[in-house]
Amino acid sequence: MVPKPHRVLLDRVSGYADEAAAYMRRRRAFRRPFARLYYGDGRAEDHAADSIAGGELFVAAGRLIEVAGERPKV
Amino acid sequence: MRRGRAARGGIFTQVADGETSEAISGGSAEAALALLAEMSIDLRGAAILDANGSVLAASDHHDRWREDAAALFEVADRAGGEPVEQVHIGTEQGEVFALRHAGLAAIAVTERFALASLTFFDMRSLLRDLVRGGDGSGPSGP
Repeated sequence: MVPKPHRVLLDRVSGYADEAAAYMRRRRAFRRPFARLYYGDGRAEDHAADSIAGGELFVAAGRLIEVAGERPKV
Repeated sequence: MRRGRAARGGIFTQVADGETSEAISGGSAEAALALLAEMSIDLRGAAILDANGSVLAASDHHDRWREDAAALFEVADRAGGEPVEQVHIGTEQGEVFALRHAGLAAIAVTERFALASLTFFDMRSLLRDLVRGGDGSGPSGP
């Protein structure tokens, strides 16, 4: 028996939502800390956490995160 | 929110785009910051600073924002040997976005996994409108 058209649509949307949820779970699990700098000419540089510059950037960012605190926001 | 005190000069004088900002009122900056908070559900706190590093508006602790923002830009400029335009740092505790535009600087701290391109877009829109004399909302909103 052929499924009703709206069922097909619902299944497809559910499939996309499942894929997106799985992607977000993987992203949360595997994403590592990063420090990325962008320049006026469009260039970007990544600095590893174990480099001197990267370490300093993470320390500076940590202070800002501390001062921002938790929610509620502004 | 309240207006911050004057800060050490020279920290923000090197702007990547070479423009200079006119005097921005603290009220406009605060309105812009409130708009940013409204638009960005992931936002924890933010600040807008002028070319001298003075805090025009901040979510709280103006002195801390001024010092820590200056420290971040100083470290970032030193890391690449030239003034940065944008900084994006992601940590386990949250994410930091910093942006210079037309002599102003905006710093935002968000929850993890905030959408970077949207956050930078919103911040840039706010600064652009502030420089034009607006309050961040633009002709028809950012």
